[in-house]
Amino acid sequence: MSKNLRINKNNFIDQTTRISFKFNGQKLFGYKGDTLASALLANNIHLVGRSFKYHRPRGIMTCGSEEPNAIVQIGNDPSLTDPNVRATEIELYEGLDASSQNCWPSVNFDIGGINNFLSPLLPAGFYYKTFMWPASFWEKYEYFIRHSAGLGKAPTKSDPDIYDHQYSHCDVLVVGGGISGIISAKLSAEKGLDTILIDDKSFLGGSTIYQENECYKINSVNSNKWLANEIESLKNYPNLLIKNRTSLAAFHGYNYLLARENLTDHLSINEKKGKVRQRLWKIRAKKVIIASGSIERPLIFSNNDRPGIILSSSIKKYIDYYGVKTGENISLFTNNDSAYETAISLYKSGVKVNVIVDIRKNSDSLIVKEALELGLKVLWESTVVDTQGYKRIKSFEVMKLSDDGNNVVGDRSKYNCDCLGISGGWTPMVHLFTQSGGKLKFRNDDNVFIPDENKTPSNQISVGSCNGEFKLNEIVVNTIENLKSFLSLSNSCYDGIKIICPDEKSKRNIWLLPSDKPIGKTKPFLDFQNDSTAKDVKLALREGFKSIEHVKRYTTTGMGTDQGKLSNMHALGIIADTTGTNMGELGTTTFRPPYTPLTFGAIVGRNVGEFFDHTRKTAIHNWHVKNKAEFENVGQWKRPWYFPKNGENMHQAVQRESKAARDSAGILDASTLGKIDIQGTDASEFLNRIYTNAWSKLEIGKCRYGLMLNEDGMVYDDGVTTRLGENHYIMTTTTGGAANVLSKMEDYLQTEWPELDVYLTTVTDQYSTISICGPNSKKILAKIVPGLDLSDNNFPHMSFKNTKISNVNCRIMRISFTGEHSYEINIQSNYAEDVWIKCMEAGKEYNLTPYGTETMHLLRAEKGFIITGQDTDGTLTPSDLQMDWIIGKKKFDFIGKRSLYRSDTIREDRKQLVGLLTEDPKEVLEEGAQLVENINKKPIEMLGHVTSSYFSPNLNKSIALAVVKSGKKLKGKKLIVPMENKNINVTITDTVFYDKENKRLNA
Amino acid sequence: MLNFNSPIKEEKKYNDLKIVEIEPTIKINLRSNKREFSTKIGRILSILPPNEANTSSGNENYNLLWLSPDEWLVYSNNINHTLDNQIELENNLFNEISKLNQGAVTNVSDHWVMINLKGSKTFDLLSKSCPFNFKDFKNKKGSVVQTVLNHVDVIIHNKDENDLNLFVRRSFSEDLWLWINDSARFI
Repeated sequence: MSKNLRINKNNFIDQTTRISFKFNGQKLFGYKGDTLASALLANNIHLVGRSFKYHRPRGIMTCGSEEPNAIVQIGNDPSLTDPNVRATEIELYEGLDASSQNCWPSVNFDIGGINNFLSPLLPAGFYYKTFMWPASFWEKYEYFIRHSAGLGKAPTKSDPDIYDHQYSHCDVLVVGGGISGIISAKLSAEKGLDTILIDDKSFLGGSTIYQENECYKINSVNSNKWLANEIESLKNYPNLLIKNRTSLAAFHGYNYLLARENLTDHLSINEKKGKVRQRLWKIRAKKVIIASGSIERPLIFSNNDRPGIILSSSIKKYIDYYGVKTGENISLFTNNDSAYETAISLYKSGVKVNVIVDIRKNSDSLIVKEALELGLKVLWESTVVDTQGYKRIKSFEVMKLSDDGNNVVGDRSKYNCDCLGISGGWTPMVHLFTQSGGKLKFRNDDNVFIPDENKTPSNQISVGSCNGEFKLNEIVVNTIENLKSFLSLSNSCYDGIKIICPDEKSKRNIWLLPSDKPIGKTKPFLDFQNDSTAKDVKLALREGFKSIEHVKRYTTTGMGTDQGKLSNMHALGIIADTTGTNMGELGTTTFRPPYTPLTFGAIVGRNVGEFFDHTRKTAIHNWHVKNKAEFENVGQWKRPWYFPKNGENMHQAVQRESKAARDSAGILDASTLGKIDIQGTDASEFLNRIYTNAWSKLEIGKCRYGLMLNEDGMVYDDGVTTRLGENHYIMTTTTGGAANVLSKMEDYLQTEWPELDVYLTTVTDQYSTISICGPNSKKILAKIVPGLDLSDNNFPHMSFKNTKISNVNCRIMRISFTGEHSYEINIQSNYAEDVWIKCMEAGKEYNLTPYGTETMHLLRAEKGFIITGQDTDGTLTPSDLQMDWIIGKKKFDFIGKRSLYRSDTIREDRKQLVGLLTEDPKEVLEEGAQLVENINKKPIEMLGHVTSSYFSPNLNKSIALAVVKSGKKLKGKKLIVPMENKNINVTITDTVFYDKENKRLNA
Repeated sequence: MLNFNSPIKEEKKYNDLKIVEIEPTIKINLRSNKREFSTKIGRILSILPPNEANTSSGNENYNLLWLSPDEWLVYSNNINHTLDNQIELENNLFNEISKLNQGAVTNVSDHWVMINLKGSKTFDLLSKSCPFNFKDFKNKKGSVVQTVLNHVDVIIHNKDENDLNLFVRRSFSEDLWLWINDSARFI
């Protein structure tokens, strides 16, 4: 039975609503408003996990996002569990099931704890030094290292929760709901600006809202009461949106920010169902006010990591906000006044404060005086040198500091305790400021990095303690004054505000507190999550690492899920002290987004499952689905790949489809091809410049194949363009190239050739394209458009006709990508499915066979037609493709022309497109396979690779296209395709395998 | 007779949001930088093409959306327009503009699918996946924006208060329709 350390005093927790939860299988109770951490502490549970490297027992150390130790696994289903959740941030809900991480078999008895005893053998850089030799053993080491790496267990099933995204625009975004954030939000809203205030907690007010000390007054009212009234007044501003439980993750340039809102993490399991768990806000703000506050620093002394050692300000929050005692015999260790506020709060709550150890010589500030008047015992100019207790601190030892603070003097005094509060001063949270591109400056007086006002990106400001203002009067007055200028306010509702607060008069900072033992015999932890100690940092310096970035990576200080929020400043301080450098000159490590970890779900939002990628469908898609097509992704299009019948596999289906297309008729949905309508008096000249061949003399009603190059002379896209009128063309592009071709052409028109009278309009989706090919295609078409004269004289190859199918206008092109007599029907998409069905009905007697992209590839390969992007890769010229015929040598210019005459592009040993036949006609080559001449010559010279490869049922043999060095000259040459288990002999051939005389085009 | 087969054919209602495909609708793309263009359009459609960016003009029959300094989209208000009406308008415009070298007229009736979104939650839905700032847009009847919704190119026309027509390419329309219906559950 655990103790109940709850006190019945506070306004913040709903002590009427009891919540049950489980921790490590034990059923416990807390209250609505608790975090997991406060509920565990209320149950007197401090030991929550084990450290990463040494598996030392670790407890709750903070009350916020900076928590390094209390990270837990949520959920009892290993397939859906959520790792690395900070117990200090997750709100308690009915049914919460949490367990400790990085321990086995339990957090109380962890086999890995043996590492702690081996720690002298595991210094910084242990892995780098140890696993270097013998090199051949690496794979064995790797198995064990990988096995022990990482914190927590990743779920094995896909995340069932729902996440989404939301864009938002505002005049002012205020980040942080502490006192400076509240003032900022009110001033902004008061001015009528659209304002968003975000705060990661479930409540507003920061630490001031539970600061009940009489020493802090605003306008003669206790600061907490004044602030509560201000928060209440925010409700009066309809232009102010307040988002609680929303944590700013990233601050990008030009005031683009990402924030994660937790919507259901605090609800019971039943209440969560069907609701969005987290929402990622994508905010564009005209101005940003950072009021992210500061976090308390720990103190660095030997064994400062035991469960029960907690930041002093967190102890105060647990008692004042959650009504939870973190112990029953508490001592404090500090270098500043804020621990005295904690002591007073504890005293007033009836908790015994045994002793306050203060490294300063004295302090006569108001708050210290109040503590002394309450009878609290203070050990001035002293330091804690060690602590005892394995799973919970039991005692600590104190020694007197020397005058210079470098050593300790006298004897050790031992004090019993069950909780030790530590306070090493305050660190402004400048992460967001630096993420946005702001630069920091170092303030020597109190050893803080603060935003440099001269190096702050425009339209943002830092206010409050994140700007290095720690006293209440400084925070309030400076925030108001700075915002008057930032928001262009002539006056404000806060003018004349009066603040009373204690003044901290004495300061002393020692980054690494001295001990009577040599550092090698102590364990002063710097980075609690990664088990990095002060001696690790010193070792790194001795081994030559000088840059803070290098020390970070060598010692792992500042890494992990907390990103060194507690450790970075001390690491810098110790480096500065050891090397005799000013901290300001050392700089900081880079603060990268996210500020606190983001779930993958929040990043991805609804782009999962069917929304993972876009799906473009043709107008005939539903027919393909009904007819059991297998689909292939081509760009974002879903294209029928093949139409299996009676359990056929792809090979069988493709063989059947391609044979049918050659023997009788095949039908293909070619709607995905890009289509661009080109109009204007200079349309012909435009095409002359875009394509390599000539267009001016193309007759109206005729089609022509064109090849488009990049400026470097390499093939970019291809397609057939049809002249519809004197100044009117329709261009087809490849499926994948459509958008880029349009952009490129529009770019040329607007920037290079503005003198041309040409207009481009995409009509890819306007028209569906149905291609019918094969010797019976003419007969089928004749049934669909009975009035159209399909004779070769009237409708020759490479021409088009305007006609009607039923009541709908259409264009029929007689063009072929298969080498067969073919027609392409272009019809408005909303009528295309009906036309397709008509074609199928008309073609029934001719075994009209629908085919997909795989058969299309095979048929065109038999004819040696290239597919841009498959047989080309941006490094081939038309000449390399043996398509010199398409270059208009008399043309004045076209894109890429000049590059075709560079010394490199006219080299004869460039890779060139060739055909390949295998020695064994049944052997089908793998696309991408390399081609070599001499297998025994080392290193083997790679001559080229296979670009397309199929088994042709029409030729009854395997065929392939390839690019080979000097390929044009190598016809008849035998080469080898070395595969994993065999070498395949091939012969270089012409690229055209089928119907070289093109007789079938007019068959 | 061939059957008209639009991709969505649905109407959905959510809390304060109604979404419906409105087809068939005549849509014609116009491009020109010629001086006489506006006069000719005014004569045929009885409305002048707007010159101000991201605005529209309209009358009882047609809306004319500004797409770029030399590009506009005409769409009809009347869904009872027949295919013959479509062809007639296209031919009329084509003969007056394209044939006389005053610009380019292109029928895009089946290129775009028009979806109407109506209700107070309309902009909440859009902001789930559209980076555009609708603050001024929603207060200005007739405004036009070309943006992306769930990464898909769309044109949005502010018809009236919380009453938008959204144009999406036909091939993307089913995908976007699915997304709209999915997201509408969470507003």
